[in-house]
Amino acid sequence: MIRIYLLFLLLCCCFIVTKADIPAKDTLVADFDDLPAAIDLRPYILSLVDKGGLLTPQQVASASFTHSYHLFHAEKRHIGKGNNCWMKLHVSNTGQQDSTLTLFAGWHDDMSWYIQDSASHQLRLLMHTGLMRDRSNVQRWEHYGFKVNVPPGSKRTYFLHINNKYYNENGLMPTLFNDLQYGQFRNAQLEYYRKETILIHVLLGMLLVCLAIAVINYIQLPDKSYMYFAAYMLGLILFFTLRLESQPYQLSVFFRWPMMKYYWDIPALLFCFYLMYLAFGNTFLNLQERYPFMEKLFTSVAAIIGGIIIICFYCIALEQYQVPVMIYSYVYISTLLPFLVVFIALARRSRHHPLVRFFLFGSLCFYMASFGSFLMLIRPLGLINALGEISAPSLLIVAGVLLQSMFFLAGLSYRNKLVHHERTRTQELLIKQLNKNKELQRKLNEQLEELVKEQTTEILRKKQELEEQRKAHLETEFDKKLTEIELKAIRAQINPHFIFNCLNSIQLFVMQRDFEYAQKYLSDFSFLIRKTLDFSRRNFISLSDEIAYLNTYLGLEKMRFEHKMEYEIYVDPVIATSELEVPAMLLQPYVENAVKYGMTNSNYPIGKLLIQFNQIAPDMLECLIEDNGIGIIRSRTLRTLPKHHQSSGMEISFNRAELLNKMYNTGIHIDIIDKSENNNSESGTIVRILIPQL
Amino acid sequence: MIKAVIIDDERNSRDIISLMLEKYCPDVQVAATASDCADGIATIQEHQPQLVFLDLEMPDGTGFDVLLGTREVAPFEAVFVTAFEKKFLHTIRFSEVEIILKPIDRESLMNAVAKITDRIRANASTTRYRVLLENFNNGRNINMDMVIPVTQHEDKIIGLHTVSYLEASAEKCIIHLSDQQQIIAERSFRYYTDLFSTLRFYQINNHQMVQLSQINGIEGDGGRVVLKNGERLEVADRRRKELISHWKQYK
Repeated sequence: MIRIYLLFLLLCCCFIVTKADIPAKDTLVADFDDLPAAIDLRPYILSLVDKGGLLTPQQVASASFTHSYHLFHAEKRHIGKGNNCWMKLHVSNTGQQDSTLTLFAGWHDDMSWYIQDSASHQLRLLMHTGLMRDRSNVQRWEHYGFKVNVPPGSKRTYFLHINNKYYNENGLMPTLFNDLQYGQFRNAQLEYYRKETILIHVLLGMLLVCLAIAVINYIQLPDKSYMYFAAYMLGLILFFTLRLESQPYQLSVFFRWPMMKYYWDIPALLFCFYLMYLAFGNTFLNLQERYPFMEKLFTSVAAIIGGIIIICFYCIALEQYQVPVMIYSYVYISTLLPFLVVFIALARRSRHHPLVRFFLFGSLCFYMASFGSFLMLIRPLGLINALGEISAPSLLIVAGVLLQSMFFLAGLSYRNKLVHHERTRTQELLIKQLNKNKELQRKLNEQLEELVKEQTTEILRKKQELEEQRKAHLETEFDKKLTEIELKAIRAQINPHFIFNCLNSIQLFVMQRDFEYAQKYLSDFSFLIRKTLDFSRRNFISLSDEIAYLNTYLGLEKMRFEHKMEYEIYVDPVIATSELEVPAMLLQPYVENAVKYGMTNSNYPIGKLLIQFNQIAPDMLECLIEDNGIGIIRSRTLRTLPKHHQSSGMEISFNRAELLNKMYNTGIHIDIIDKSENNNSESGTIVRILIPQL
Repeated sequence: MIKAVIIDDERNSRDIISLMLEKYCPDVQVAATASDCADGIATIQEHQPQLVFLDLEMPDGTGFDVLLGTREVAPFEAVFVTAFEKKFLHTIRFSEVEIILKPIDRESLMNAVAKITDRIRANASTTRYRVLLENFNNGRNINMDMVIPVTQHEDKIIGLHTVSYLEASAEKCIIHLSDQQQIIAERSFRYYTDLFSTLRFYQINNHQMVQLSQINGIEGDGGRVVLKNGERLEVADRRRKELISHWKQYK
């Protein structure tokens, strides 16, 4: 049964084709009961083109219509500024039954279906529909079949007003179907467009995935290139979604806003394939650093494209749909070659950079796809039409877009990786730097520690040194003190013998009742003791004091030895005795010795003692103590005392000179001369003391 | 009557001794005087006195020289007279001879004369003068001998080096010798400590004085000294440090 049916259909088609050049007739005469499969209405339709769009239905009713075949076309066609036409159809039913036929003239923006009243010739609107009019979703596609109802044996006149403002017009091929055939036709159309729709859906899915990836990546790593890529994807998605709008019997999202598909047609292409593409390339390849000139070029071209997009929007708003197409075709043609140049330049500039490779491969894929598609379209559509359909979702273009997206996405991932790598490297570097810093800090600490240690040692050493110095200083000070004390001790110890012998003598005078002598002796002795006590506390005394002291001392000695000795003190008259200072008690021991040994000489019963003070130089006082004893040499040999009992008087004197010199930094010099050394006939000792004047 | 000779280089001195003898010691008769050593020796040889008052220092020698020069003559007792004894302190004190310091006071003169008189009457030995001369020749060293007066007995003569330590005992002093022997001397502990303070002795506590050469070791951080004869003596706390430093110096 189906086979027969199909055969019948085929026959119908053959019939249609053979009927194509049937001469025009004014009225379609058909048996509504037994209609052929589909009646091509072209020969029966009279048409009128209303260029200004000013005709009212009343005017049309009386206007003259002509046969104009050029209006009709089976496929989509570029019509430039739009098409506003009226069509008139006379139908007479020769059949017996009252049945309804359906007229289908294609999908157009604005369509009005009128019936002419046979009596008044007035047009009565039966149906007003169109892609731009009908806001219902899938149902609207049912509105394009206009009902033709002619009672049996009667004749009716219908008017169809088609107003297409868009530059592309869907096929315009009026055909009359009965109900069954219209259903079949509808199914065939549904099938035909479904393929394209599926393609679009698949593409949309992929693009959405890409968008999702881009958005996710952008959230993770806020990079501008992701944003541009996402915008590019979004633009494409919107573009292709809007494409669904014009696919019959398909679910569309944007059916409520039919103008959108116009607004987002050419501008979408410009936006996606130029503006976003350039912006993406700019940031993706980091042209600002890598290729500043290219960056400038990209930016300026993107700006120009932006301007063009705005112009396009403006034109669309003014319903001048063909202008953007023209602009786009110029833009496309004019950028074909420059793009190629740019690709080559980029490839040459950074041949081995993987990002550039990704970008170039993606770009080239789409470039080739669009170019190929364009070339393929030129033949059936002509150059201008081909340009208009350049973005139509042909397999090639879709493949190109997908490939480009893939490449770009891959590139973005790679870029991500690079950034991550860079970040890791930076982190590693930072860590390294940190470690280095730590190391440095450690070293510094160590150095500091060492320094501190060294300095501490230094300080300790210094301290020790200081301590030693202090010690040494103290020692010298102590030495000095000791020396002084020793000296004082020596001074104080000078003559216990003498003291007690003196006291003994006084005792004797008292016992002998020689009170005058005793008093004299006692007063002299107390003077001497007082002076001794006084001098032992002082280091220097005036020479006059020294002389007085010696005088007293010698007087007492003389008294003790009862004129067995004589003495004389001679002072150089130039000496100012009261001003000149000499070390206290320096001379006394020598004088005492001289007294002691001066009386040992058996040749002289009377010991003679001479003390002289001479100024031998302006700053040098000479002091001579001379006796006429046996002399120091002989007296030494005479001494039978064991060594440990040696008289310490002289030693004390020598020591005293040394001590004095040490203490006061003076250059006191003491010579002891035996007179017999110079002259054998003489005997005695001379003590020569040189006292430098300070 | 005791025949005496005075040897002194100062006439005043000689005069006062004879004056005082005349006044306070009528038993002593001054036979002659001399003014120096040589004269003194001659005078002694001439007069053979029982007692000689000797000045220690004279222009041509010392009193010891006089003793040395009169060893052949009959032994006599001597009283040394000096203004200042420091120089021959140990020589004189160790041999327990009589010494009078100038200016002469009555008591010391009378004491000395009384002691001498007793000795002459008892016909006591004159070894002390031998000790004196030996000490004088040996000098101030460890080889000096000591004459220790002992109650009711002859004086003991010991070497200084044999003294281990001294111990106070009422008014007397116990001298411990290195061979464990003990001598109770007729002198106070204080007398000996003063005498030994400049020698190598150390007073370890209030009543004991140790000769450093007799110490074998020091125990308990200076708390005790161990002597060579094995005896252990306590050391006063405040003297430990000094003892250790002295002992170290000595070693």
